[in-house]
Formats: sequence, structure tokens, C-alpha cells
Amino acid sequence: MKKIIVTVTMIVFGLSLFAEIDFNGFVRNYTGILLNDNHDYSILQNTFDLNISQNSGKIAFKANPYLNQYSDDDLTLGLREAYMDMYFEKMDLRIGKQQIIWGKADGVFITDIISPKDMSEFLLPDFSEIRLGITSLKADYYLGDNTFEFVWVPNFTPTIMPDENSIWRPKMSFPVNPNWDFSKKDVEKNLENSEVFAKFSAMSSAIDFEFMGAYMWDDDPAMDIKPTIDPTTHQISSLIVTPQHHRLSVTGGSFSTTVGDFVIRGEGAYYFGKYFSTDNLTVNDGLLEKDYLHYLLGIDTSLWDIKLSSQFVQQAILNYDDSIKNDEFDNTVTFLASKTFLRETLRTELFAYIGLNDEDALIRPKVIYDFSDGFDIIFGVNIFTGNKGKFGQYDNNDMIFSKIKYSF
Amino acid sequence: MKKSIFMIMMAIFALSLVGQEKITGLKVIQNVYNRKSPKDQTGELIMTLINKRGEERVRKIKQFTKDFGKVEKKIMFFISPADVHNTSFMNWSYDKDDKDDDQWIYLPALKKIKRISSDSKSDYFMGSDFTYDDLGDRKPKQDNHKILREEKFHNENCYVIESIPKDEDYMYSKTITWVIKNKWIGLKKEFYDEDGDLLKTLNIKKYQKIKEYWLILNSEMHNVQKNHTTTMELKNVKVDTSIPSSKFTERMMKRGL
Repeated sequence: MKKIIVTVTMIVFGLSLFAEIDFNGFVRNYTGILLNDNHDYSILQNTFDLNISQNSGKIAFKANPYLNQYSDDDLTLGLREAYMDMYFEKMDLRIGKQQIIWGKADGVFITDIISPKDMSEFLLPDFSEIRLGITSLKADYYLGDNTFEFVWVPNFTPTIMPDENSIWRPKMSFPVNPNWDFSKKDVEKNLENSEVFAKFSAMSSAIDFEFMGAYMWDDDPAMDIKPTIDPTTHQISSLIVTPQHHRLSVTGGSFSTTVGDFVIRGEGAYYFGKYFSTDNLTVNDGLLEKDYLHYLLGIDTSLWDIKLSSQFVQQAILNYDDSIKNDEFDNTVTFLASKTFLRETLRTELFAYIGLNDEDALIRPKVIYDFSDGFDIIFGVNIFTGNKGKFGQYDNNDMIFSKIKYSF
Repeated sequence: MKKSIFMIMMAIFALSLVGQEKITGLKVIQNVYNRKSPKDQTGELIMTLINKRGEERVRKIKQFTKDFGKVEKKIMFFISPADVHNTSFMNWSYDKDDKDDDQWIYLPALKKIKRISSDSKSDYFMGSDFTYDDLGDRKPKQDNHKILREEKFHNENCYVIESIPKDEDYMYSKTITWVIKNKWIGLKKEFYDEDGDLLKTLNIKKYQKIKEYWLILNSEMHNVQKNHTTTMELKNVKVDTSIPSSKFTERMMKRGL
């Protein structure tokens, strides 16, 4: 590892001698303490994140290596992005590892389905760190304020799930302890298995909108289940669970417009078939394929200098079957309020996801103090309420955290 | 013949009355608003925020402005401080009195352009003493204007204009502006709060004729109630360089400088 770091440092230093290269990034300490009896550390992390870029008018590049060092002295070196740009009169090409973000939703992934997610610490990290860069070719063609975008992803990258022993590992329930078969967890790397995405977007005084389509892989695997039935008891005696990714065809769009003091946003995606787990393990390997709709309506405004934003999100399974584990309609509300003080050097913020089906929530109040230009001190709390559902399952993971960040 | 001479004299007298039409407060402010401005402009904006202890924070922005006739478009790229590096902001401002500005912000960490409501014109820009409205062109018809007096200020002959907003809920109860005669530049402006007390004073430190346009290059806003100050300096100004209209698009907001 040390050798790699020294090599990278030498390359960066060497490059900086030869050309006008822009360096910026941050150094950050992130400490999280669980609010349990032992006050365990949920995270102790030091990060060095570097953005190296150059723009020479017709061409540009960016590389974003990062180093994370954890309490156990584990050091991980990663490359969030590394891409090159080619600028033509009406077209841009971006080639390499890149994060691609679509849609108008905040904190919710609806048409924003190109970059997979790193869920190692659930939805708690900054979104720039949750989204994974993927090797892809992105082409944008511009016509006035309209953009046609095409993305080709040669290799499929799945969601990164938390380790088996992680407190963020989602709870999965099976009637008996399963045997896992990971033989199908990877999607073979070949041209046929690549993903394609296309989008048309427009920006105008009246409205901004996007239409998109995708032929992709589901970032989250479906759990194919093969049970063995005990002939004497007629009960399930063992299970083989095989995680497997399936193809998805998705279409959708989003909009954003201003009405008086309000910004109204909407986003929706329609899935032509997506696999859902069922309680009936003896039929169809415990899976059913159904059309699926995921959409959101949001509103942003400002009241007494407090910025307010709220979103209603619904996930609907069409032609529903009662054996499906997920609810037919899953409703979530998000809420954000923030206010700045002391000439914008102090900001208080409250963000919450509220699950209406399971009456659970993730509530995230935080205070951000800009100690000096580019030096932020953040204190916050993550409170999980409820005892089941997306957020309630982490009820024991309430935590306080601090982030001290120096940007350069 | 006598009749003709009399008629000509009458006509000349009438014309001279038109020429000496009494200038009003509204006319002075309209002259400031309509002062000849470049078709497009590029410059670096350096804002220094000084608190009551004299500590300074500096914000650097590169900005491009272009007049498209019925709409003026502006795009700003934030250079420093480091945590806002590569953030960009775009504003489309319309001639129509009843049409609000359209505004978007690009946040590089989120890699996303967000449409924002332009209604919060009373918000302070990047923690400075300038509100968004102080930085924009407030339309003359939004206030009732009155000439208080004429006086010499910094060796310039000025009209002193009191402007009272028609909207009673506006953040200022009134403003008083010292406008240089013939150049139509506001040299000083006082802003009064809702209670009628002096809140802020804007002083123009440097203005210059670039090509045929009078441009303000250095100004200072002092909040007298909180005793903090913001200086705003415009450097490397270029005018009428035919900035392409494609500069004011989503593409450029994302690409940055």
C-alpha cells in the first residue's frame, strides 16, 4: 500500500511540475459514537481526498483519488473518479470512471440510477461518497438549452453492501438459516452485458425537465431461493439463497419549476418488470416479476429566512400479489429545514426521512460552523425511530457524530 | 412679417420650456437604470467581508454578463473559498416588470443543477452585506422617488434622491441615493430599516469609463448597526467581447471555468 501511495504522490508531484494543474480537495476527521450503553464508535475515519484537474479549452481531465484511514489503522486507497473530457462545438465526450447524476430529487434515487451506491454506512455519508464512479462513456449533444445525453457503461457495478458484521447490514429474515450460493452474484463482463442510458433535458424560464430511458442491470440482487422440504414434517428443512442480478428496462422523467415563492419538483421512473421477494418460497424460487413505479413530488420555499423543503415519495408495485414481501404502496416523506446565522458562518439543519408504512424515521439534526474559510466543524445526531422498516431496522444505531473538514 | 417673427419667438420659447423640463426623482433614477451599459461584460469579483474585529474573509468569483434584449443573463463561477470552488450560479433577469428572475445553482459535490426561487432577494449574498437585490437592478417603478436636494459630494454635483418602496413589506423602508449629474452614477446610497433607522451605507470608491461605459469598479457596503463591512472589487473587466450565448447554459455551469 505504502508503495502505491508513494508512486501516486510522485506522479502527482511530477505532473504539477510540467503543467498548470488544479489541485483541490479536503482532509477530514469523521468520528461517530453510538448512543448505546457502551458508547461504541460507529466510525473513526480520517480522509484525504484530492481532486486533480486540468482544462485546456478543448480537452480536460480529472482524477479524484482518496485515502481513508480507520481506527484499526486500515488504509484504503480509492479512485472516486478518473476521466477525460473532449469538448466539441456542440458536443462533449467524457470517458473514464465518473459519477453520473440525473434527476431533481434530493436524497432519493429515482431516475438517478446510473451510478451505483456504496451502502457501507447506509445513507449517512455525503452523497458524493455514496455514489460510486463507474467506467463509462458519456456523450452530450447540445442544441441551445436542450441536451441529449447518452451513456454507455461497459461493465456492470452492483451496490456495495455493508460487511456481514456491520451494524448497517440490512436485516433479512428466512424461515431457517440459509446456505448462500454466490456463484451467480457477478454479471459476466462482456459487451452483451453492458448498460445503456439516454436522456433528453431542457432548461427554460418556465420549466426544466428531463426524459430518460435505461436498459440496465438491477444494482440490488434478487434473492433466488431453493428450499428443501422435509418429507415427514412437510416443513422447510434447508434453504439455498442465490443472489442474482436481473436486467431492467426503465423509463422516466423529472421536472422543476417556480410558482411564486415555491419551487415545485417531480420525478418518476417506471420499471418494465422488477423482481420482488415473496413469502411463498416454494413457487418461482421465492420471486415474482412485477412492473414497478417509483415517483416523487417535492416543494422548496423559504419562510422567515428558513429554507424549507419537503418531498413525498411513493414506490408502487403494479398488479400486486399478496405474497410479495414489500408493501404494494410504500410511502416516504422527506423534510429539510435550514437556517444560517453570523453572516452564513453558522448553519443549522434538520433533515428527516419519515417512513409512513412502518412509522419509522431517520432524523438528522446538525450544526455546521465555518471556523475559517474552508474549515468546517460539523456536529450532528442520527436518530432512528421505529422498530422495522428501512430506518426502524437501525433503531439501535442512534449516534452522535462530528466531522472536522479542511478544504483546500 | 411682425406676425411671423412673433410666431417664431413663441415657438422658440415653447421649445426652451421643453428643454428645461424640470427633472424629477423618477427621471434621475430612470437615468441611472438606463445608463448605457455594455452588451456583455466579463470580470473578476473580489468580495472581502470584514467583521467588527477587523477579521477578513475573501470570496473570489468570475462572472460573465450578457444583455439579450428582453433578458439579461449572468453566470458566476466561485473560485474561493475552497469549499465552494467550482460552484456556479446563473441568473436570467427580465425587462418585464412582473416577471421574476430565474435562478439556478450548480453544486459540484452533488453534481446537480438546482433551480432556486428568486424570491429571497432580501437574503445576503455569500454572507456579505449585499443582498441579492442590492446587487441587481431594482426597477425604478418599484419605488416612489423624490429629489431632496442638490449638493456637492466628493467634488461631484449630485442629486440627492429619496426612494420609498411601493411595497410596504420590502426590506428597506427607504433609500437615499447621491446621483452624479450627467454621469448618472449612484455615488453613495443609504439604506434604512423597517423602523426608519439607518442600516447600511454604500460608498462607491472607484468608477471608471471603459470604452463608452461608466462602470463601478470598487464599492464598500457598511452595516452601521452591526458594524461590519463588505468591499466589492471588480478586476480585469472586459466589455463588448461578444461572449457567445452558449456561455449561459447548463453545459457551462457544469463545466466550470
